[in-house]
Amino acid sequence: MEPLEIANRLKERFPEQVLEVTECRDQVGIIVKKDRIVEMLRWLHDDPSMQLDHLADLCGVDYLGKKDVRFEVVYNLYSIPLRHRIRIRAQVPEDDCQIESVTSIWMGADWHERECFDLFGITFNNHPDMRRVLLPEDWEGYPLRKDYPLDGGGKNWRGYDEVLEKSKRLRKFDFYGQYQDPTKSTGLEEDARK
Amino acid sequence: MDRFGIIFRASPRQSDAMIVAGTVTQKMAPVVRRVYDQMPEPRYVIAMGSCACSGGVFKTYHTVQGVDEFLPVDVYVPGCPPRPEALLEGFIQLQQKMMKEEMRWSRWR
Repeated sequence: MEPLEIANRLKERFPEQVLEVTECRDQVGIIVKKDRIVEMLRWLHDDPSMQLDHLADLCGVDYLGKKDVRFEVVYNLYSIPLRHRIRIRAQVPEDDCQIESVTSIWMGADWHERECFDLFGITFNNHPDMRRVLLPEDWEGYPLRKDYPLDGGGKNWRGYDEVLEKSKRLRKFDFYGQYQDPTKSTGLEEDARK
Repeated sequence: MDRFGIIFRASPRQSDAMIVAGTVTQKMAPVVRRVYDQMPEPRYVIAMGSCACSGGVFKTYHTVQGVDEFLPVDVYVPGCPPRPEALLEGFIQLQQKMMKEEMRWSRWR
């Protein structure tokens, strides 16, 4: 089935939920509301003419300062038996930063949703294990948000500060820390000159 | 590298030198430090590649800006990635450095 046809069928089925259908370079995206997302994706997964049984990717997007609704969760779906694909984009506002989990449909969404939570701070309701997946568990903030400073605001992770403190404490036991004057030549420079 | 007397060991407890080959993240730093702490003395560290030397292009919230922030590095091998010859040169430099040392044991603790 052509992607535009899928979009029209979805619009027929859920007229209030579909907000917009976008097309760019033969790729069709359907922007939807997040309220009935599981119902819609369940229908796309189960309907005999759709059979979108493969969740190719799930990710988040931050449109800070570009769109009124800040976040979007993007589902890239593919049908292995029928060989068509479609992209569903669910809008998630900043003041209500949560969406229903789709792990009941595709179990593989588990870690994708955790990654999305980890880096964007979008909470997935009814997820089996909603923890951070990449960053340390006590990390503060959500790094892929556009208002997160690239260098972390000059602040290190607490565990890394502990390592720095430990290495500082043990430095006096090091060879250089005790015996060698750092200003003294090691002799290698002279060799290089030869 | 065997012909220069450099042999791989499977465990830090049997090693003399440690190569840090690649980006070290803040989450990974405690692990790298623990591997170093497990090595018997005398011990040496080679930072291999731009990322281990200085953080490379990754001036970000999670990257360590060079492993010398928390390890005493003996030889820096720059390059992204370094040529195999560069790494061998790094080893030979380290061997020359070892030859010039009189004693390399830390204080008893």
